[in-house]
Amino acid sequence: MDASEREQYRAAIHGDREAFEMIIRTHSRPLFAIAYGILQSREEAEDVVQDSLVKAWKTRWRVRDPEKLPAWLATIARHKARDVFRKRRTVPFSEQLIEPVEPEPANTTALDQQLQSALAALPELHRAALTLRYFEEMDYRTIENTLGLTNGALRGILGRALASMREQLRPALAAMD
Amino acid sequence: MATVHDEIDTWLAADLHGELSDKERDALHAHLVDCAACRKTHQEIKTMNKILEETLTKEKADPAFEQRMLAGFRSRVHQRGGLVKLLVSVMRLRAAQIAAVAAGLLGLVQIGRMITGEPVTAPRERERYVGEQFAAQPSQVPASRAAESGALAKSDEVAAGRSRNLPLKGPPPPAPAESKDEERAGAEVERTIVTGSNIPTAAEEGAQASVQETAPALANRKLIRNATVELEIVSFDNAVQKITAFANEEHGYVATTDSEKQANGKLKGQIVVKVLPENLDRFLQKIRSLGELKNQTLGTEDVTKAYFDTDARLKNAHVMEQRLIDMLKTKTGKVSDLLLVEKELGRVREEIEKMQGELKYWDSQVQFATVTISLTEKDLEEPAAFLLKERAQLFLYTPDVEKIYNETKSLASAKVQITNAQLNRDYSGRVSAQLSMLIAPEESDAVIGRVKGFGRVENFQMQTQRLAQGGSGMSENAKTKRDKVELNITISREEQEQAFQQTSLRIRTSSVDERAKELRALAEKQGGRVRSSTFISDPNGREVASVSLRVAMKNYPALMQSLNSLGRVENVSVQRQDRADAQIDESNAPADVSIQVYSQGNIVTEESGLLATLRRTLAQSASAIMWSLRMIGVAIAFLAPWAIAIVGIVWIARRAIRARSKL
Repeated sequence: MDASEREQYRAAIHGDREAFEMIIRTHSRPLFAIAYGILQSREEAEDVVQDSLVKAWKTRWRVRDPEKLPAWLATIARHKARDVFRKRRTVPFSEQLIEPVEPEPANTTALDQQLQSALAALPELHRAALTLRYFEEMDYRTIENTLGLTNGALRGILGRALASMREQLRPALAAMD
Repeated sequence: MATVHDEIDTWLAADLHGELSDKERDALHAHLVDCAACRKTHQEIKTMNKILEETLTKEKADPAFEQRMLAGFRSRVHQRGGLVKLLVSVMRLRAAQIAAVAAGLLGLVQIGRMITGEPVTAPRERERYVGEQFAAQPSQVPASRAAESGALAKSDEVAAGRSRNLPLKGPPPPAPAESKDEERAGAEVERTIVTGSNIPTAAEEGAQASVQETAPALANRKLIRNATVELEIVSFDNAVQKITAFANEEHGYVATTDSEKQANGKLKGQIVVKVLPENLDRFLQKIRSLGELKNQTLGTEDVTKAYFDTDARLKNAHVMEQRLIDMLKTKTGKVSDLLLVEKELGRVREEIEKMQGELKYWDSQVQFATVTISLTEKDLEEPAAFLLKERAQLFLYTPDVEKIYNETKSLASAKVQITNAQLNRDYSGRVSAQLSMLIAPEESDAVIGRVKGFGRVENFQMQTQRLAQGGSGMSENAKTKRDKVELNITISREEQEQAFQQTSLRIRTSSVDERAKELRALAEKQGGRVRSSTFISDPNGREVASVSLRVAMKNYPALMQSLNSLGRVENVSVQRQDRADAQIDESNAPADVSIQVYSQGNIVTEESGLLATLRRTLAQSASAIMWSLRMIGVAIAFLAPWAIAIVGIVWIARRAIRARSKL
């Protein structure tokens, strides 16, 4: 993190709206990745990011160390996404009928569906790490920072995630070969 | 290479993601060469990585995502803070501050105007009005009367908002317009008051009387002249006769006279004479010779404007009247309309009469000048008689107030009238009485003499006043009459009398008690009375006896003599109250003597010396320390709850912040 970035974070925390909007420009994609990783729904993820940003602005005074701002944003997004995820599970059956959760894209293949369900079976943290890696192509270090992990922890997490998915998708993968 | 094999997924993933160091990559590749299972896994992972990349790339946020986020954020979080910040930064500028203050003041002024109802454009209107007047005046002066009145008529009509074509529908001349006209006329009337005759009045008035057309500005003027004169004359009737003669000489007449006889037989009165204005100055000169001139004023009132205004209105009214008459003659329309015309005609005629009356009044005023002459005979103020008023007052001191009070009251007779008698007894048993009486002049000396015999008299005062009746000043031949004598008596008990002389002294002796007793005996021998006595003995062996005595003045010297036998007399001070104008029986007047008999006692008191000083100092410092301790306690008691509360709040706030930042 360079000095100008830190200065930007500090200004945002102190109520500089322009600085905060700049942070929105640079940081909302990783947040989307995290939210998507948890929810696997673009619409819901987008809403979550939006809510998280508003909440972050309103509670910015809580951040004491400007360097931790991105991690803090990620935390908010994860909490929000988890809330939505939990609520989705408890939605009564009847309501689910009224508003269909997500219309299935036409080009969805069987493999895609398998992949989605394999993803869904992963722990939430693993999913978030995966999406950050594959959406934003972040290096391990940045992902660790964003998700608040210790150095080197991500390698194991991603390894386990990929292994678990590989197990589930083995028939399909075998077929592909 | 067991480690690589055991964690093959991690290694492979890191390899795919480019997170392996060169050394690690070599190790992995070496293992893959050896291990077939891991090679298979490698293949699978690679495939899956591809699928994941393909699948998830589709799910990535679209390019407009950031813009959407920003827009959403902006719509949900209002710019309020920014606005406030902008406002604050603007208000920091000195110019903006001054502008804001000015705007505030302007607002206040505007509100004030709204409250008081003052029209904002008033000054401009007034200016315009003045301009109009200036414009109108020059045309009035030189123009002939007819043209002028015509112009005035037009302006009057315009002002009244009346239309010639619709006389019936037109409302009666609105009151505001009319009053405005009159006001203007009033403003035009110049009131000049001069004591001399420095304006060419005679010439002016003459010109007005004879030729109106040829004379310039003054010819058309309608001027009312009047004068007031105050004269002091010797004989009123004589003066009236002469004034009447003068009035006849100057072709005038005496309008009214009235006179009044004063108490001293002198006359004063007022005469109003009407003379032709051109003769006014001559007439005034003549009457000045009658007596001493006290005051004279000469006034001229210019009613030209009002006169011609009324004249023009009158002409208008005549035209109106003619129209209404014509309308009645043609007799078309409904009966109700005709009735309306009739009514309007009545109103117009009434107005005409009023205006004609006004013009006539002015004409008469202008035709003759009014001279008001106030006449007073000389020595009007001389008194007719004098009244001698005597007032006496005395204080009586007696042992028995009530008895004297009743005796005084019994003096009442046909010639002695008691106007006020009261006996007062206050809560401490003191008795005093007050009596007022009016005594016939011939009896007064006898009665006062008797009253004086009732007791000790003090402060007898007699006041004589000569009152002039029916005037003021001196008169040689006025009679003097003696009025009833007013006598005020205050009766008090002897003890209440203030001492004529007060003496205080000290006697030093070794045996105070004994000497005090002797003192009492001495006082009684001289006919004195002990009023109070005290005896004090203090711990240092000092004894003081105070005795206060009252004796008659005649025994005072003897008492003072005998005091010397008691001991050394010190600090004698004598105070004597010499009352001016008071008639006092000095030998019987009371004298107060207060005597202190004292002994010296111990020379050195207990409360001096080193030890005592030390003790006092210690006691004082101890009490000072105790006081500071008490104050510190009070301060702590005040501050402690606040301190505890503040510490508590800070602690809770810090905990809350810490808890939230952890989330």
